[in-house]
Amino acid sequence: MPDLDPERKEIAEALRRQVASENELTASQARAFVRGLQTGWDVPTIQWGEAETREQYTDARRLLNAASILQSVDGRDSSEARLCYRRSGEILEWLSRAHDDLSTTVSLELLAAAAYQLGGSPAMASALLAQVDETKPGERLYAQFLRADFDGVILSVSDFWRANLVITDRAAQQRLIQEGGDDKVGWFVTVELIRVLGLISDSLRRGEEERLALATRKLAALEKLMIRTFSDEISLFLTLLHQVAVGFAEASIYAPIRLLSQLNEERSPRLERFARGQFRQGRGILWASQRQGLGRLLEKDSFALCTPTGSGKTLVANLALVKELMLRAEEDGPLALYLVPSRALASEVEAKLSSELSNDVIVTGLYGGTDWGVTDYWLDAEEPTVLIATVEKADALMRYLGPLLLRRLRLLIVDEAHQVVLEDNERTQDDFAEHSSRSLRLEAFVSKLLTRAPNIARVALTAVAGGAAGPVSRWIEGSENAEPVGSDYRSTRQIIGSFETNPGGAGRMLLEILNGKPLFVRGRDDPVYINLRTPPMPQLPAAMRNSVNRFNQLNVLWTALHLASGGRRILISLAQQPERTMGWYKDALQLVSWAEMPGFALPDDNDDRQRYEDARAACVDYCGEESYEVALLDHGIASNHGQMPQRIRRVMVDLIDRGICPVTVATATLTEGVNLPFDIIFVPSLMRRSFNAAEERQVENRISTAEFRNLAGRAGRPGAGSGLEGITLVPIPARPSTTARSTLRTQRRQIAAMEEDWRLLRQSLLAEELEQFDIDSPLALLLDGIAERARELLDIDGEDFLAWLEEVLPPDVSPNAGRASEDELARLADSIDELDGVLLSALEELQRVDDAGLEGAAAEEALAALWSKTFTVYAAAQEAWMGAAFIRRGQAVLEEIYPEREERSRLYQYGFTPHVGRRFEAVVPSILERLRDTEDYGTANDADRLTVFRELGELLEDDRGFGFRVRSTETDQAILANWENVLSWWMHAAGHEAPEPQALRSWQRFVSDNLEFRLGVGLGAVVARAWSDGVDGAIVVPSLDAWRATTGLPWFGFWARELLRWGTLDPFVAFALAEGLVGTREAGEQLRPEFNAWLEEQRQKIESDDLIDPQLFLEWKGSRAVRAERRVRRRTLNATLSGTDGRRGQYAVIPVVDDGIIHWFDAAGFALARSDEENSPFRGLIHRDDFQLRINRGGPIVRQTYSGSA
Amino acid sequence: MHSCAPPIDVLEERFEEYATVNGGLGHTLLEQIEADDGALAHALREYFESAHLDARTRFHSFVGIDLHPDGDGVAPVVTYPGSLPSTTRRGLFGEVLAGLLTESYEYIGAHNWNVPIFLFRYHDDAANYLFTLARDPTQTRQTIGRLGTDFIGLSLNDDGEVVRIISGEAKWRLTLTQAKVDDVMLGKKAKGSAVRSGKGVWRDLNKEPSPPSGARQLLELLREYDSDGFDSAILCLERALVVKDPAPIPKTDLIVFAGNGRAKREKGERLLPWEGVPDEYTAGNDLQIVEVVLQGGEDLIDTIYASLWENGEDA
Repeated sequence: MPDLDPERKEIAEALRRQVASENELTASQARAFVRGLQTGWDVPTIQWGEAETREQYTDARRLLNAASILQSVDGRDSSEARLCYRRSGEILEWLSRAHDDLSTTVSLELLAAAAYQLGGSPAMASALLAQVDETKPGERLYAQFLRADFDGVILSVSDFWRANLVITDRAAQQRLIQEGGDDKVGWFVTVELIRVLGLISDSLRRGEEERLALATRKLAALEKLMIRTFSDEISLFLTLLHQVAVGFAEASIYAPIRLLSQLNEERSPRLERFARGQFRQGRGILWASQRQGLGRLLEKDSFALCTPTGSGKTLVANLALVKELMLRAEEDGPLALYLVPSRALASEVEAKLSSELSNDVIVTGLYGGTDWGVTDYWLDAEEPTVLIATVEKADALMRYLGPLLLRRLRLLIVDEAHQVVLEDNERTQDDFAEHSSRSLRLEAFVSKLLTRAPNIARVALTAVAGGAAGPVSRWIEGSENAEPVGSDYRSTRQIIGSFETNPGGAGRMLLEILNGKPLFVRGRDDPVYINLRTPPMPQLPAAMRNSVNRFNQLNVLWTALHLASGGRRILISLAQQPERTMGWYKDALQLVSWAEMPGFALPDDNDDRQRYEDARAACVDYCGEESYEVALLDHGIASNHGQMPQRIRRVMVDLIDRGICPVTVATATLTEGVNLPFDIIFVPSLMRRSFNAAEERQVENRISTAEFRNLAGRAGRPGAGSGLEGITLVPIPARPSTTARSTLRTQRRQIAAMEEDWRLLRQSLLAEELEQFDIDSPLALLLDGIAERARELLDIDGEDFLAWLEEVLPPDVSPNAGRASEDELARLADSIDELDGVLLSALEELQRVDDAGLEGAAAEEALAALWSKTFTVYAAAQEAWMGAAFIRRGQAVLEEIYPEREERSRLYQYGFTPHVGRRFEAVVPSILERLRDTEDYGTANDADRLTVFRELGELLEDDRGFGFRVRSTETDQAILANWENVLSWWMHAAGHEAPEPQALRSWQRFVSDNLEFRLGVGLGAVVARAWSDGVDGAIVVPSLDAWRATTGLPWFGFWARELLRWGTLDPFVAFALAEGLVGTREAGEQLRPEFNAWLEEQRQKIESDDLIDPQLFLEWKGSRAVRAERRVRRRTLNATLSGTDGRRGQYAVIPVVDDGIIHWFDAAGFALARSDEENSPFRGLIHRDDFQLRINRGGPIVRQTYSGSA
Repeated sequence: MHSCAPPIDVLEERFEEYATVNGGLGHTLLEQIEADDGALAHALREYFESAHLDARTRFHSFVGIDLHPDGDGVAPVVTYPGSLPSTTRRGLFGEVLAGLLTESYEYIGAHNWNVPIFLFRYHDDAANYLFTLARDPTQTRQTIGRLGTDFIGLSLNDDGEVVRIISGEAKWRLTLTQAKVDDVMLGKKAKGSAVRSGKGVWRDLNKEPSPPSGARQLLELLREYDSDGFDSAILCLERALVVKDPAPIPKTDLIVFAGNGRAKREKGERLLPWEGVPDEYTAGNDLQIVEVVLQGGEDLIDTIYASLWENGEDA
């Protein structure tokens, strides 16, 4: 009927436009949505009549019909049809959430879930069904199927067959239909449907295409039968069910896995197991974004995948690793580098990759203190290896081992690659001058790598909004025509709005943005709101309520704790000064009027309880018994900020991730790329304030839309019960909290400012959704910043500027160069030094490739090649002069500014920018000398050990360039003056003084910025130099064996950075913590005697350095490991055939245990064999495993062919 | 598809017709002149086979797929509708009868009715099993929700567009009495009460949506079988099912009541209204009632069903 197709399509599209525009609700849909939300929040709902329910239901049904027309005209993949299904799912979901009873035969939830699946929103289907407590076994079965819980389906059908053993023989089918009973057809159809669903589910998870096709054919036949012989609704449901099943078969991970296997057939069994494992984890059915990503992976080596948080991009990254490391690599030890933006993300990625690939691939996260350490066995391993590292770490590694790495490198994965994009503002320029721009480091690192290893495969993972995806994909593919693959598929609904904190009343949520579009109900001026029913916060004491900010944040905590008691997970995300808020919270929690607050219940689960106890102990260890951290933890509130010791950050993340702590207060560092389960995120302040000491002025920066977007993207738990919406709210007081007349005006002004901040942010969030805009790249901004300052400060412009740039040295521009001074000329000098850093390291690395000199035309060519690999070239906003400036400055660096090859090599090795490095070089001999002089560190007492660190610190103390640097605030200056006490406290030396709770974070900041980072970097640079001098520039794989002889340093040199990282003077304690043998430093100290006793048994004479010899630590650890008895688990069981003559030789079977017998069933419900349960080695949740009945010569046996628990 | 013309001559010969139209109500009483000697059953056989062919094919395809791992995917087929229980067959009979009469006799409005395909929605009473996953024959007669109309027919214009839909209920009762008819039309009385529940056919007709439940299924079948031949009809039905506030397709509601006459029945006796639209019916469509009074109806049904495809061939 093609003649009428256009007309038919128009009918369907008209409805689609009318009621299913993407991200746009009609007035009555918005009302239905809000009503559903209100019911969920247990607050009074808007007025609503039965006729409206009926009308919405009819619309949902119309949309299903429209979808079916669109599919019949455009094919199954019609995107318009998908939109119809999705909106239909939404409407049905809203009605069901409001508990509407339409007396439908099939529950609204099941219909909604099916529509969501067909609309390409599987996570919504799962989340919705997770909320429903199905009472009838049939509803449960269909719900399990519709949320792709195939293990659940197998469990349900097993229960069914156990209760109906009499119909599990082969003749049962005929018997059922031939015997009497008016109800026999209904029963027959039911039984057959159970057979079909069981067989589809089992075949899907095993990847058995033939059986799957047969079962799907039967389901199709049932659908056709039902259209004729059952009511409209049931037949509709069967149609949807059938389509979902077809969709599952199409989206099974086995399909791309098998295509991938063709690259290397030998690996095929391993890949099959990988696919099976994905099904085990509920991820076997791919989401649309994953299918797109895998499609691209099969077709190309390099590409950018652009998808929002929670759309399953990890899988694509995993398979890229499999492809490059396991399938294509022909040499031993292929390597992949996985770049992440933060150490926290490194550990998350490491955990994820390890859980799936660790049997085949060495997965190692490089986020320790040292550039390489005791666990770096991968260096000379033959297995494929994935290194997960921050750019900083990768850079350091490259300096150490560049050529070794490059030789093995096959794949680069850049996670959160959009972070290469920067905002053009003052902060960005300051970061350049202070050598702390992560974006620039990322651009420089990847560009250098691509220049040196242009043939490695590259995968970039990026966010959708913000305009980065296009340029990033062109950059990563190295092609102007490259397009990112992906979609803006959101697995959960995203709501952004504000939260009115109300003195004396409950708060009100104003929901303003839904999935990036304004949410409003037509005919009403107010935004959509939900009045919470939390009890009003008691009036605060005057000191607390007189600060409107404090009131606001306390009100948020009050609300959060009440919402948490309803099962929600809440993050309070702070822009800055977390310690202040944490102090406020601690004080408030001690108020008598807060005593009625819902209490924090320790987890029931023993494991979780132990984790909580361990975390608390670690917190006491590092933060102190009286600290805010411990006080909040006692109320179930986790905290996290960038200055926290790594160990504490990791345990906190663990508590949040496992839902042990329902409320979290943290800065944005927590959520940089890391997924944690939050339903609601409160963002109490949108401004960051800092002080520019040189100009004595306050600098205010609104948090960027990118940062806010990233944050909002973390709200929502895909697939979780309360995960239908992720809500991000900006709390703003409804009115002043003070009762003092004198502060009323101030508070009114402050509130107005908060409202204005929110209005502006909201505006740019909405604007960015609409338009594609030019983005800025780090190198362009750096060059531009230098040019602009040269123009403003020195009046140099145009060609003069380029000529000037060819000869100027940073100290010529300002005597303060390299000292992190805040005056403008020094900033200019430091920005030039930053550029030189990029250039010098690139040139040095290029020179190391063939160890040849690089000069003249060759240098120009090399620099031009490097420039052509930069992100800047592919980003929209670059100007022609920039490339010239970059190349000419590069030549100047080589020929004029740092003309000595050996000096360049040393400066490169230090890792500082070259001018800072030159200045640092002056202290290198003193540091080296001090390090050499630590031969008796192993036997020294605390005081002497501390003296070593103090003396090393003194060498750096006074230089803001490479040494200690603090802000010019009084507090920080006082800490600098007192830094030796801070060192003593941090290193846990005997008799140290601890900070007061309110001072803790500034002490922590000093530790992380100056002791861990700056002192650590300085020591690392010197040790690297010692190594490099020791091997005389040759490339040698570092080994513990050769370390001491090569560097000429005692073991202290090896440990120094690690000790600063863990905050201990004893390398043994650092080792024990790093290896996870203990959870606190105290426990590490208590373990020390065990090592000493072991050592005494080993040796007659013990040198001081033996006490801190990492090789001996490892040996001791090995001796200590209880030899886990290698018990070979039996995987087979004898069986007796019962429903087959065994003609096929082997059968896929599922276990149905009943009364001491394991019945082995075909998944379609046919008993095939049986075994005695008594002799069975198969225990536990075996419905999740795969079994195969085999007819061997010795008789039938059943073999476990897949066990997820093994 | 159903394509067999009704054996009108035989029907006229074997039944006496009393047809009236009063206002919005058409009423046709058909009295079987004498018990069937086999000729009527014989004449109806082809029509019944044609009406059942589609469902039979689908039933056979479904049953014919064997999921047992030792099988080759093909199971021996059990015949449909022969293997259905007799209660079910009586239900099916009513549905086919409704189509037969609609295609054979003139109803109110004198429209030309076409039944392209028969829907046999007779198993829903057992659809509870789909949710309980447990068989309990005592529970099966408690139907869940409304099953939808028993029968749908279309009136098409020269361009093939749907200009009117007829849908309704077909009821079979062994013996037709006023009490039984009232039970069906007005709902049963609760135990010990003289008041009827109201849950009867009148209520169902009054609540019937437009287009009627089942229109989607009919549409699916037209698409499946002859999307070219019925393209205009398909478009009309799609419009009715998709467009918000569509121009409604006019509708005729049909009630077919069939059974044996009671012992003392007098000729021409009607048990359902015929002189005007009853107060109970408020849907406002044209209403057509057909009462069919048989002699030895159950034998007729059994004979017909025993004869269907008795040679084992689907043709």
